[in-house]
Amino acid sequence: MRGYFARAARAQLRGGAALRVLAVTGVALGVGSALSIQILNQSALGAFAGSVQAVSGEAQLSVLPRGPSLPDALVPAVIGTPGVRSAIPMVRAEAAIESPRGGTLEVVGADLFAASRLPLSSAEADPGAPLAVPGWVALTPALAQERGWKVGDPLEVSSGSRRVRLQVGALVDFQRLAPLSSRRLAVMDVAQAQALLGARGQLSQIDVVAEEGVDPGELSRRLEARLGPAVRVATPDQRVSEAEGLLAAFRLNLTALSLVSLFVGGFLVYATVQASLARRREELGVLRSLGATRGQVLGLVLGDAALLGLAGTAAGLPLGWLAARASLGSVSDTLQGLYQLEAIERVVLPPWLAGLGILLGLAGAFVGSIGPALEVAREDPRALLAARPAGRASPRRDWVLALGAWGVAAAVAAATLGPGRRWPPAGFALAVAVLGAVPFTAPLLLRACEGLPLPRRLGAAYGARGLAGHLRGVAVAVGALAVAVGMLVGITVMVGSFRETVVRWLGATLRADVYVTTPSWSRARGGAVLGPEVLEGLRRERGVRAVDRLRQLTAEAAGRRVTVSGIDAGLPEGRGRVEVIGGGEAEALRRLRDEGAALVSEPLARKAGIGQGGVLALQGPSGPFQLPVAGVYRDYGAERGAVLVDLATLAARFGPGPDSNAALYLDPGLDPEAVVERIQASFPGKALLVRSNRTLREQVLSIFERTFAVTRLLQGMAVVIAVAGITLTLLVLARERAGEVALLRALGATRRQIFELFLGRGLGIAALGLALGAAGGAGLALVLVEVINPAWFGWSIGLHLPWDDLAFEAAVVLAAAAAASLHPALRASATPATELSRDAL
Amino acid sequence: MSDVPTLAFQDVHKAYALPGGQPIEALRGVSLAVTGPRAVSLIGRSGSGKSTFLHLAAGIDAPTRGTVRLMGRDLGALSDRERTLLRRDAVGLVFQFFHLLPHLSVEENVLVPALVAGDDLAAQRSRVRELLGEVGLEDRAAQPVQKLSGGEMQRVALCRALLRRPRLVLADEPTGNLDEASGQAVMDLLLRLVRREGTALVYVTHSRELAALADETWRLHSGLLEPA
Repeated sequence: MRGYFARAARAQLRGGAALRVLAVTGVALGVGSALSIQILNQSALGAFAGSVQAVSGEAQLSVLPRGPSLPDALVPAVIGTPGVRSAIPMVRAEAAIESPRGGTLEVVGADLFAASRLPLSSAEADPGAPLAVPGWVALTPALAQERGWKVGDPLEVSSGSRRVRLQVGALVDFQRLAPLSSRRLAVMDVAQAQALLGARGQLSQIDVVAEEGVDPGELSRRLEARLGPAVRVATPDQRVSEAEGLLAAFRLNLTALSLVSLFVGGFLVYATVQASLARRREELGVLRSLGATRGQVLGLVLGDAALLGLAGTAAGLPLGWLAARASLGSVSDTLQGLYQLEAIERVVLPPWLAGLGILLGLAGAFVGSIGPALEVAREDPRALLAARPAGRASPRRDWVLALGAWGVAAAVAAATLGPGRRWPPAGFALAVAVLGAVPFTAPLLLRACEGLPLPRRLGAAYGARGLAGHLRGVAVAVGALAVAVGMLVGITVMVGSFRETVVRWLGATLRADVYVTTPSWSRARGGAVLGPEVLEGLRRERGVRAVDRLRQLTAEAAGRRVTVSGIDAGLPEGRGRVEVIGGGEAEALRRLRDEGAALVSEPLARKAGIGQGGVLALQGPSGPFQLPVAGVYRDYGAERGAVLVDLATLAARFGPGPDSNAALYLDPGLDPEAVVERIQASFPGKALLVRSNRTLREQVLSIFERTFAVTRLLQGMAVVIAVAGITLTLLVLARERAGEVALLRALGATRRQIFELFLGRGLGIAALGLALGAAGGAGLALVLVEVINPAWFGWSIGLHLPWDDLAFEAAVVLAAAAAASLHPALRASATPATELSRDAL
Repeated sequence: MSDVPTLAFQDVHKAYALPGGQPIEALRGVSLAVTGPRAVSLIGRSGSGKSTFLHLAAGIDAPTRGTVRLMGRDLGALSDRERTLLRRDAVGLVFQFFHLLPHLSVEENVLVPALVAGDDLAAQRSRVRELLGEVGLEDRAAQPVQKLSGGEMQRVALCRALLRRPRLVLADEPTGNLDEASGQAVMDLLLRLVRREGTALVYVTHSRELAALADETWRLHSGLLEPA
């Protein structure tokens, strides 16, 4: 049978190359889509793990602050803990490179004598230089090459508004230690780093190497007991696992989206196998008559599908790699902006992930082919050798399937949305159930087309109306397209709603005329501060009516790391800049000012189950404390959560400190853009980022769009697969229904009419897919907006229908469907009337 | 009545190339003229060239040599589109296996030639009812064709062939897929209808009895046409 399989496979390829190419394309795009997201997920975690490994190296434990930072004074206590062999104090921060090209350095200040594992080149590194040479820094050779820097070259960076001159002291290949670590890693002496960051006496972490034979778990407990509640001790694995937890929603979201493409690719395999089996019935009937078992027939069909899966996977692996590379920048920006994680600089494809890609491709092919394969294997030789069945299931069966699928969706909805049930992954199950029910509705929709009035002439409308005559194959194409369109519509509505919500939020909360921050702010956040002289200067600027200060730091609240921001809650000009959910902003701000209360962001409130009237537990430098919660405010800047307090409260609880940002309210009539230019010129020695209200909004929205770039790529891939499904279906129809075309040609239909008929079929499939997909997409959008976003990301979104985007997408799908129909339409129009044969209709 | 023959074959040859073999000649110098509303039958064994003759007569296929004229127009001199439009407007076709479109109703199947031609469907519907009445299927108009018997299907096909009042009906074994009684009934109907409509008819059959119902009968034998 194996020999026969090889011969039959070759014959199949010769007989239906176009169909196979389309099916392979479907699998390739599906595998590519799913794989690209897994590559990005792994690369994101790899970048974080690489950074941990490069910085902490052999250390088994890291002492980390629960508040903003650790005091220097803690180091002797760590060293003095029994079982600790050595302790390496560290400062970590982001510094902006002061050059027209921009960019940032991931600065690590460490005890370079203790960190002897760093591969410093003895030829270049004078052992005393890191301490003796002001601004001495070790960079990666990759970055030095990219920037054209050599050992000894000066480079200017900024941390906050302070500009500092560094010197390339050594080139160190950190990536040899940790291949996924950042090429932007810059290592310098801890004291120099503290000076650079203006954080004297403060540390980001203390790495601990345990004595031989000491259990790290036991040592961790000992350290926590000795150092008190202001610190936590974690292993590198725990830290990576925390990053995984932080990214869980983001990763699951993209994974679910990418699997839609694989699902749609499976439809293409199904359609191809169906078409192939329709042609091979007689061949399989002969084989069965000659003694082939049902299992052998099943094996023949599944083997054929496995070849499709393998070919698709072979193309899908590089495609996934390329798609991941194309999305690298936008995903990396999202991870840094939304989660304050490391940038992803390169994509990795470990062997197990390639194996997963192969498995996905084969699984897609198997799932797509098992139904038709079992069906044909069950038939007896006589049935296989008889004339082909009409291929029209009973309407009752279609109703049962559709009602069953929607019944499952309704049951999942009841389980997800029922009272007291808030298991977050159920939202994804509901989305899958809604999208999964869509294709089962396609046969009913097609049957409804039969009731349409007969068109006036033979052409596109006739072709579209007659789709129900080929229910089986067409329903698959309509279903596949509907799933892709459902995803397209669902995501578009969700993104449009999100965008509109953010635009309104920005409109409500960005009240100042000019915003002043520093180039390193976007990466360093609380570590990037404005010097007090800058604030003084801003207050003295002509036309500045009021300066609204913001101080930000990171601390643990309700068991998670969140940003804690201090604002001047009593500033009269700042009214309205905080959108308190449920209203009562004035009273909430009064409580911030008078009672030292806190406002918690919506994501934190949802995830930690905190609300107005509750109490928020925060970790300060000297231990935990509690603040009354004055309300919940809208925030779309940090998924992990944020807390807002009055500046006085922040100073009282965390000690005095510099501000990070300033917002300026100008005298009426002043041009903010002119003021921006004036301020930029007023502080020549400072690293400042000065933006008008309008520019800041534009930039925020641009970041927003970039965040969803990878989503758009996934949407595009799913639609391409589905549109390929239209070509495939029409090619199958052109071949299988050649008799009908020949009859029409015999009755006097011109080639043009046949061309139009097939174009109509393609557009009909697209229109039905759009209609069904729109309905499914509306359901998906509701699930995304009302269930998944609040449960996973914590923010509420107002539903908004972006009609322009939806109309554009519908036009693109129709245009793509028309383009996809051209080849089959041309092929069908060339069918001669002599093709009419006994089995033709 | 014009003297121009409705259909004229003049020294028509048709050869097919077999893969890897010699060309096979299906028709060898066939000449025939059908003028006016006459019924002409063709008999012959399988492979004698009967279907090839009908394909050439309908302009579906082109002769290797010789001339086929339909309504006085040389089909060989016409483009594919011109031949198609001439066939649409002048010829009605009846097939052995009916070739009805399974996703259309009885009435819609009869209307297909009008759809192809872009006729006014409202006007043609009364013609459809008239024809279905003639063949006794007026009460089945809205039914799916799959629910009809073989004889009924062929009666629908007759209506379809006659809908646009063609000058020539070509029928390829119209009773070949029917039992004897149904076949006789269909043939009687066909002849009655074409005679009433004043349409020329060329039909192919295996049955000498049915062939004898025509005004003239010809026999095709190894590609040659001779009086039966």
